Amino acid sequence: MLHLTTGRVGSLLAQRVTAALTSSSVRMASHGHEVAANEDLSQPMYWDSTNVPLPDRRYKVTLSSEDERLKQKEKGPWDQLSKEEKLALYRLSFSQTFSEMNQPSAEWKTVVGTIFIFLGLTGLIVWWQKVYVFPKPPRTFDDEWQAKQLQRMLEMRMNPIEGISSKWDYEKGQWK
Amino acid sequence: MAHPTQSGFQDAASPLMEELLHFHDHTLMVILMISTLVLYTIITMTLAKLTDMLVLDSQEIEVIWTILPAIVLTFIALPSLRILYLMDEVSDPHLTIKATGHQWYWSYEYSDYENLEFDAYMIPTQDLTPGQFRLLEADHRMVIPVESPIRALVSAEDVLHSWAHPRPGIKVDAIPGRLNQTTFMASHPGVFFGQCSEICGANHSFMPIAIEAVPLPHFENWTSLMIEDA
Repeated sequence: MLHLTTGRVGSLLAQRVTAALTSSSVRMASHGHEVAANEDLSQPMYWDSTNVPLPDRRYKVTLSSEDERLKQKEKGPWDQLSKEEKLALYRLSFSQTFSEMNQPSAEWKTVVGTIFIFLGLTGLIVWWQKVYVFPKPPRTFDDEWQAKQLQRMLEMRMNPIEGISSKWDYEKGQWK
Repeated sequence: MAHPTQSGFQDAASPLMEELLHFHDHTLMVILMISTLVLYTIITMTLAKLTDMLVLDSQEIEVIWTILPAIVLTFIALPSLRILYLMDEVSDPHLTIKATGHQWYWSYEYSDYENLEFDAYMIPTQDLTPGQFRLLEADHRMVIPVESPIRALVSAEDVLHSWAHPRPGIKVDAIPGRLNQTTFMASHPGVFFGQCSEICGANHSFMPIAIEAVPLPHFENWTSLMIEDA
């Protein structure tokens, strides 16, 4: 029965008060609706990806003195950098090149091999079944019976339009 | 009957079945086109070198791939409905035969002129002569005249059965207390085998139907012989 007991009144009031003090509408109304800041608090990561090619940070974080020297040289005109220096600078910033990222692996051999193993196991089970489990098929499966059956099908002109009887040449007594 | 390893339909023995075969070819062609398109899309998407990271939605393509399938479906639905209504046409049958399903045999009554009734049991495998078809041969065949529209009234004596033969394209449920009607016509002479198509007990797989379509004089001979024997 829906009696308004003291306990129920109390809990209803408590719910009202909580909503009045903490609901999102109240909180929004208490200040301007500008966003204070959009902070990305994640740690900078390095990754190699063709989809998102520019990671958060350089690959080599701590640079040796040799690397520092290169970096300084990089600030000048780039045509003064030799090919090896350019490659070294690339390897400071990135772990792999695009062609290294796209290198195929040998995983396919494992996959295909496993598939064949399972197919082989299945084949073994099927063969074992045929030898040890299945009963003898009915006598209508004997070669002689099947031949007589086919003969009868042809004599009865079964499926004469596009089926089996249409493939038999009745005048010559042979398949077309 | 089907030859071993046959996976397609058997040849049609009635005009209706011919229509169904053509419709099946048409529908399979539609399916083949759709499957090819999907396969091509899957392959190109899987093997593409570049990824567009910013694709979220596209209203245009959503409209296209909703409208286009609807159109394709009408191309399938309209022929289908045409055949459905074609099946219901009653074409002034020359003969009416009642086929009644029992556990586990069929009985046929030709009561138009004389009262001709007989039962058709399966010939057991051990009694077959070499060359006969296992599970399909019946001791009596339902003989009909070729190229004559036949009305078949199908019912059952005990439990549900179904009177089905693939070549004339017939499948009619046999329901106790109900008469289901179908009309069909055998386009050419021959023997058309069918099997009970509604589970009806232990020997459900062993109550076949054999329809033999013969020229009218042969049919009349047969009816006279059957009536004499009765």
